[in-house]
Amino acid sequence: MFSNAITWWTFFKISIHERLIYRADFMLGTLMRFLPTLTQIFLWWAIYDVISTPGSIDQTGGPDGDIAGYKYGDMVAYYLLVIISRAFSSMPGLTRGIANQIRSGEVKKFLIQPVDMQGCLLMQRIAHKLVYYLIATIPFALVFWLCGDFFVDGWPEWDVLIVFYCSLLLSFLLGFFLESCIGLIGFWFLEVTSLTFIYMLMTFLLSGHMFPLDLLPDSIGNFVDFLPFKYLAYFPAAVFLGKVEGAAMYQGLAVEVFWVVLFIVLSRILWWKGIKHYAGFGG
Amino acid sequence: MQPSYLKVFLTFARNSLIRDMSFRMNFVLQCLSSMSWAAMNWGLFKIIYRHTGEIGRGTGWHENEFFIFLGTVWIVNSLVQTFFMANAEEFSELIRTGNLDFALLKPIDTQFLISFPRVNWAQVSNGILGVLLIIYSMFKIYSQDPEAAEIGTAGVMSKKFSWIAIPAFLFFVGCGATVMYSVMICLASTSIWFGRNQNLYNFWFYITNFYRYPMEIYQRGGGIGMALWCTFTFVIPILVVSNIPARILAQPLGSPWKTWEWGLAAFAIVASLWSLLASRWVFRKALLSYRSASS
Amino acid sequence: MAIIEIKNLSKTYKVYQKQEGLLASVRGLFHREHKEVHAVRDINMTVEEGEFVAFLGPNGAGKTTTLKLLSGVINPDGGTATVMGHVPWERENEYRRKFALVMGQKNQLWWDLPALESFRLNQHIYRVPKQVFEETRDTLCEMLDVTRLLGQPVRELSLGERMKMELIAALLHQPEVLFLDEPTIGLDVVAQHKIQKFLKSYQQERNNTIILTSHYMKDIEALCKRVVIIANGSIYHDGSLEDIVDRFSGDKIVTLHLAESRALDGLANLPNVIEIEAPKIKFRVERDEVGKVLSQILGAHAVDDIVVEDPPLEEVISNVFSEAEKSQEAELAARSNN
Repeated sequence: MFSNAITWWTFFKISIHERLIYRADFMLGTLMRFLPTLTQIFLWWAIYDVISTPGSIDQTGGPDGDIAGYKYGDMVAYYLLVIISRAFSSMPGLTRGIANQIRSGEVKKFLIQPVDMQGCLLMQRIAHKLVYYLIATIPFALVFWLCGDFFVDGWPEWDVLIVFYCSLLLSFLLGFFLESCIGLIGFWFLEVTSLTFIYMLMTFLLSGHMFPLDLLPDSIGNFVDFLPFKYLAYFPAAVFLGKVEGAAMYQGLAVEVFWVVLFIVLSRILWWKGIKHYAGFGG
Repeated sequence: MQPSYLKVFLTFARNSLIRDMSFRMNFVLQCLSSMSWAAMNWGLFKIIYRHTGEIGRGTGWHENEFFIFLGTVWIVNSLVQTFFMANAEEFSELIRTGNLDFALLKPIDTQFLISFPRVNWAQVSNGILGVLLIIYSMFKIYSQDPEAAEIGTAGVMSKKFSWIAIPAFLFFVGCGATVMYSVMICLASTSIWFGRNQNLYNFWFYITNFYRYPMEIYQRGGGIGMALWCTFTFVIPILVVSNIPARILAQPLGSPWKTWEWGLAAFAIVASLWSLLASRWVFRKALLSYRSASS
Repeated sequence: MAIIEIKNLSKTYKVYQKQEGLLASVRGLFHREHKEVHAVRDINMTVEEGEFVAFLGPNGAGKTTTLKLLSGVINPDGGTATVMGHVPWERENEYRRKFALVMGQKNQLWWDLPALESFRLNQHIYRVPKQVFEETRDTLCEMLDVTRLLGQPVRELSLGERMKMELIAALLHQPEVLFLDEPTIGLDVVAQHKIQKFLKSYQQERNNTIILTSHYMKDIEALCKRVVIIANGSIYHDGSLEDIVDRFSGDKIVTLHLAESRALDGLANLPNVIEIEAPKIKFRVERDEVGKVLSQILGAHAVDDIVVEDPPLEEVISNVFSEAEKSQEAELAARSNN
């Protein structure tokens, strides 16, 4: 167990180094992340402009239009919060990385060396994320300071904040294990690019990345409620904005825990079945 | 003696097709996924139009007009993804592995050689969907009784369809694809300086995000909006990529075109030539810094 | 006129230093240190038409860099070179049509397609007329015995088969000058031998000019009359293989087959015995001493058979490399002291 910890720590450090080498990439990447939000802000402005009474200004200082309970300020705040959720839950390159390792046979090293693949990848991912937060704090803080006015209700209560943070951490785990599962399918299908794409599509649409899920017609919305995707983006943001409150909030958190556990178990099963299949197949 | 560029390109297209067909399952999945991506996009705006009748007051981007715009975006996107995207990604990979060496050895224009080897046939599906969406929306707009034409804030609008709009549309889609190609080559070239350009696809996605919407949403967005509009019209001219061809078919402000619309169209032609030259310059500059990964 | 002329050719790389420790890495975000590596310095040489030259040298000596400079893949920092009258890094199409570079560690063939399709692509790129293309392709495939593999996706070929395909792809436009960078690396002995045989007959038939780098002495022994030793980016020796042995190895290796094993007892204390395997003994003698030593032994013992040979090339070359590096370092030290 202890030696395991040392291996993982070493792996963690190497990952941080590796991450820092490609720094130019990195800085640009962080800055670019805000560009789509910028377009969203303008798009929604153009929409609220149409549905509000001309020249109207409500008590929050924005146009008075209301879409599914979201004022213009809420809408923008929602998109900004979703960036934070996605900073935790998105795992760029994870699925493809696992699939490539399987395809190139690199995965063999995990069969030979006494290290666990998922453990290594998790360490690597935590390292990447930490470095990301280290560098991204400044632009994030800047953007949120600039956009502070959109948060018309100010900071939420402390218990809401705690649930918010928990849901973010859980969304990291959920994203990691969900994407691992898809990557591990590579043991059976060599090309998982399309699967990745479909997953990306689902998260985009069903996680609330593109728009608040409250906008969905009820028939679809009720169905989306039963999927894990909404915890990758929508849930933390909705908690912060007070769209999910009280008992529903804690219930949501519990369901999120359930999904995380489910995907941890599923990914372990896929891994064991996968290497068995791989060994049987002859690599 | 010049190499036959057409023959080389056809060989690329042929080889890619052979390759795609040897992974048929993957090909079908790719078609499906890119089409569902489009469908999702469509769904988003269906939802938005449940809550509003227009995007931007008085811009004329009602639902049908907007879906022509969306269809145009899909077509340009499909062109980019069929012909350029995989190659730009491959280019970064060539630099990283040092396999660019082989491209430099060949007696043919290097930029040509790295720009077109992969043709991603599956992405054509997206463009077909775009064409269908445009035809459907056009039908809905132009089959309306002119007497009952939509009444916007700008008053009664008359839209006349003329067949010349179709070649004009295709021409400006071509200009648009040229601009997108140039931006992409410039982006991909940066990987010579920055090393691994893992985020190329992300950068691309982020930048092209701006051309997915009618430019009016920026023009009405105050100082920052205007700054963005200027940047993405005059510096990196990606707004003209979608806006000009879409305006030709959708005529959001009715026909005939306003003077500024004509001006912008003329600018689009200049911009596509200019960006092509710029991409060539950047590519050459970048090649000078290529150091060939040692084996 | 010489077909390749190189004058004072130099190439320097900047190499970024990776710093140890986490903090240093973070600092590296804002500032990176680098040092200069002189991959090629002041190389001068000429190659005549029809020569088969080998570049020898330890890893990182500058062989590959030199080949890349000659192919125009990278630009030099100083000096000039012309190949068939062209300056390589101007990358004129006319020049690029006349030479080829084969790299054993990289592949230019389309991974998922049959090699045939990649050949066809090269046909159009190099604008080889159809008939010429087909003839050349068939001849080469026959020589290398890969005709039956033409329709198989490249990814399914073995390393040796792939290398043969790479060679064919590079030779389809009948280059006059050929640069081969470790073409046999990673291949088994049989495949190596086949490629050597092919290169030899190909070169004899067409009399083209070839520069080869390799780590396998067998390649070089089989193919090249002229050997250029490069160490630390400079030419250390340029001459025939025999020259190298003469210059860098003062020893001969003598193997005696004695009539009686008993006689070995008296010989075991010879200096520099390599191995004893009764009734044989193998030992090293300085070249000038060979006659003297042998006549002594023959006077004292009955000997069935005598073999006197040069030490194995690998050994000589590795001596040369270490000597070359030492002398280069000394020279550099002297230069920096001045």
